[in-house]
Order: sequence, then structure tokens, then C-alpha cells
Amino acid sequence: MRISELPEIGTKYEIESPKGDKVAVIFLRTGEIELYVLESDADKPSVTRLTSEEARRIGSVLTGALLTIEHEDVEVSFSEISDLRIHIHVCPITKSVVGKSIEDLAIRKKTGVTVVAISRKGQSIISPPPETVFEEGDLIVAIGERAQINACQDVILGQG
Amino acid sequence: MNFLLDLAIVTVSCLALGLTSKYLRQASIPAYIIAGIILGKSGFDLISSDASYDFISWLGKIGVILLLFYIGLEFNYKGIKEPRRLFAGCTDFAVNFSVGFLLGLVIGLSLLEAFILASAVYISSSAIVISSLIENKRLIYPEAETVVWLMVFEDIILAILLVVLTSVMAGSLAMIPVSLVATLLLIVFILALIRRLSNFISPLFERDDEIPILLIFALIFGFSALAYLMGILLHCHISEVIVAFFLGSALSGVKSFRKLFGTIISFKNLFLTIFFFSFGMMFQLQFATLNSADFIIALLALIILSILGKFVSGAIIGKRLHGSLETGLRVGAYTTPRGEFSVVLIMIVMEIGVLELLPSIELLLSLVVAYVIILSITGSFFAKHGDKIGKAMMVVVNKLMPQAHR
Repeated sequence: MRISELPEIGTKYEIESPKGDKVAVIFLRTGEIELYVLESDADKPSVTRLTSEEARRIGSVLTGALLTIEHEDVEVSFSEISDLRIHIHVCPITKSVVGKSIEDLAIRKKTGVTVVAISRKGQSIISPPPETVFEEGDLIVAIGERAQINACQDVILGQG
Repeated sequence: MNFLLDLAIVTVSCLALGLTSKYLRQASIPAYIIAGIILGKSGFDLISSDASYDFISWLGKIGVILLLFYIGLEFNYKGIKEPRRLFAGCTDFAVNFSVGFLLGLVIGLSLLEAFILASAVYISSSAIVISSLIENKRLIYPEAETVVWLMVFEDIILAILLVVLTSVMAGSLAMIPVSLVATLLLIVFILALIRRLSNFISPLFERDDEIPILLIFALIFGFSALAYLMGILLHCHISEVIVAFFLGSALSGVKSFRKLFGTIISFKNLFLTIFFFSFGMMFQLQFATLNSADFIIALLALIILSILGKFVSGAIIGKRLHGSLETGLRVGAYTTPRGEFSVVLIMIVMEIGVLELLPSIELLLSLVVAYVIILSITGSFFAKHGDKIGKAMMVVVNKLMPQAHR
């Protein structure tokens, strides 16, 4: 990685792959970020200009912070703490649990999974208290190890 | 006398021509100068009174001060000490300054006038060069870095040229060293003072109210006034523009200052636009001069030779730094545009110039104005198509001397 100062423009970070392709990221003075890709045999580079928000998203994908997205299952890892990975799972509840509370089902006790949020008719309840009663159409957002999540789905919510 | 009406004329005409130039993907600097020429003294003379002319010129002057202040802020003296960059900068100066100087002597200018012409011809337009590098997606190529550092080197030379020119025009020969020493002392004083007060002013720049911007303008105008008063006291001229440059470079060392960059750039852009207009509006077109065959020949020679000059210096730099002639030719193409600095230089000379020292000032001024307008437009074209021009020139070079570049 080569870092160079471009006066009046910004800062350039540049990396060259073994094949000879070049990728450069330029932080412009304006706060925007330009992403250059130049294939070794290409005449012209491809360039896109990103806002800092867009660049952050791409950055987190590249660092592997968002590892897998299958159905509604997201695994989050942190660049600072390399061995910490958290599965975030979103699943609809089944009819069988409607009218029961988190406490009744003892989700935490039985499977180790924590319900961090409930999405109800487009509104979200973040960190719901144990006495929260499930209603029809609720979506559960839960965290836990993959095995725990699977157990929760099988045992409590009764779906595979 | 109605300043409002005149300000409306300035801003609306600049807006219209500026927008047009952006639509045509052209440099906007000549557009503003042309707006000034059309509406000012040599055109329709729409500005209502002499007081208004003075007022607009003053606003423009703030633009020049802010431009130099901004360049001082961006000025990176650590990076430029690298030998490769110094080599590139010196080559650029040696080739292109000589071209202007020699041609000035050939067309019958005095030594001092030839020196002024050479300064205006040598210096590329950072604004046009840098924006075309970004727009044309050249930033990933190594020569972009070389070009950007060339611009930084040219900034230092500009500062030196301004100090020399203002001192030389101090009047009598005996006053030159006085003016030089006074300028240098003032610069050292500013650098030391800002460094000393850094801890005190740094928190002031972090405030969210009007204090930071007020402080900046107070510093800029305060030191400019000091330069002016010292000049009167010593019967010489100390350039307030130089003072602004060094004030900027002193303030760039103050930690919290980065936050204010955007604000300063906005002010600079606005007032600099008014400056280009005011430059055009004060310009008295001498149709007799402009139509004379001598003038046209001189202008054409200047244009052709100075474009060639940048290609020659570019080629030398490219060969030495990148080991490639084609890269060098691209460097040449990118650095062809001239613009704001040439205009600023000639404006400062006009303002403080002692007329006995400048017998052919009319010719010099017309030459530079026409030159800048033409080279900012053709230069942008060169910069835009730098890669194609480099390629085309390589074809020619290979035909002429096929063995040289195997």
C-alpha cells in the first residue's frame, strides 16, 4: 500500500495486485472519496465518486464486517475484535407462540438466544422487556451462536 | 452611484458566463475576464461611476489576498524538499521562464518588463490544471503526482517572484534592499507570532459562531495593514499579498484550522471571481495595439513557444522521473493552462509599478491579457486530451527518430 499526499486535492492510497491491476482510493478535500480501478491492460481507469457514507459501507464489506447474508441471517464481525462474530437472525413467529411472552417461552433459558428487537407492523421495539407478548405478524430479531439460533427456531418457534 | 446595481451587473454577468463556460466544459477564468472587458471601460462601460469601479476593484483585491492566503494554507514545504520534485520544479522554471524572458527581449521590452512577462508566461494555472486532473480521471497515474507537486513548486516561485518584483519597483535602486529586508522581517515576525500564539488561537478556531471567520479576516487584514504602514514608513512597498501567503502557511500549522478550509475556499472563490471581472473591466483595450501586425506576431510567437516550452520541460521531467517520454509529454500537456497567477502577477505590477521603469507597459499588459485568455482556453483543451496528445506526439517522435526510443 502506497500513501501519498496530493496537495490541493487530498490523499491517495494505492495498491497494486500481482497481476498489475491498480486500485486507488483518493480522499478529496471536499470530503468525498474517489475509487479508481485500473486494469493492467486498460487504457482508462474506471472511477466512481462516493459519499463518505457509501464509502463506509463498501469499506465494511471489504473488511469482512458483513460476512454472510443468507435469507435474513446476518453475521457481524468487528475489525477491532477479530474473533468476535455475532449472528443476527430475523424470523417470523409462528401461530403457536402468538399470545405468549418472551418470559413464558423462556427463549433465553432454553436456547441461549437473546431477542434484541421485535418488528411489529412496521414499528420496532428495541430491546423488548421479558413480559412482551408476541402478536400475529411479528418479526423477531435475535442474536446468538448459529447453533443456538437453530435450536431456537426448532424448539421454540417450531420451524425448520 | 448605486453599488447595488453595479454588484448586480457583476454577479449576474459572471454567473451567466460562468455557467456557459461550465456547460461548454471550459475553464471559467477567461469567462469572468471577458465579462469584465465587455461591461467595463473598454466595452459598454456599464459600471455607473468611478467610485463603483474602485469599489469592485477593492472586492477583487480581497480575492487576490484570499487566493494567496489559501495557497499558503495548502503549501507543503516538507514534501517539496524531495530531490525528484525539486528537479522537476527547477526544470519547469528554467525552461519556461527563459522562453518568456528571451522573447520579451526580442520584441523590445525592457529587462524588467521581460522579467514580468517571463513570470506571467512561466506559471501554470493550478486551478485549471488540478480540476482537469480530477475531471479527466488522471489521479491514479504516477504523473498526476508529479504535476501536482510542480504546481506546489510554482507556488514557491510565485512567492519569490512577488517579493522580488515588489522590491524592485520600490522606486530608487537604494530602496530595493530596504524593501527586501523589511518584507523578510515581517514574514519572520508573522511566522514566529502565530507559532507563539498557536495554543491561544487554536481553541478560538473551534468555536461554532462567527468568531473563527472573524479572526481569520482580522489576521489577514491586520497584517496586510501592517505591511502597508511599514511600506509608508520606509518609503517602499511591502506586498500584502506575500504577507497573506505566509500568514496562511503559518496558520496551516494550527491544529484546529482544517475545519475552516471549506469556508475559506467559498470566500476565495467568490472574491476571486470578482477579481477576474475587475481585471477585465479596468483593462483599456487598445485596438490600435491589438491590430498591429507586430503585436499579433509577438502574441502568436509567445503562445507557440510557451506551449512548446511546457512540452520540452515535461519531456525532460518525464524521461528523468518516470523513464518515459510519453509520460513526460502528458505532463507537458497537463501543465499548459495558464490563468489566475499570471493575472495576479500583472495586476500587482500594474498597481505598484513605477511607470518610468515600464516604458512599454501598454504592450505588456495587452500581451498578457490576450495570452491568458487564449492559453486558459487552449490549455484546458490540452489538459483534457493530454493522453491522446501524448500518444500522437509519440507517433511523430518515433517516425522522426525511430532508433531513439527502442
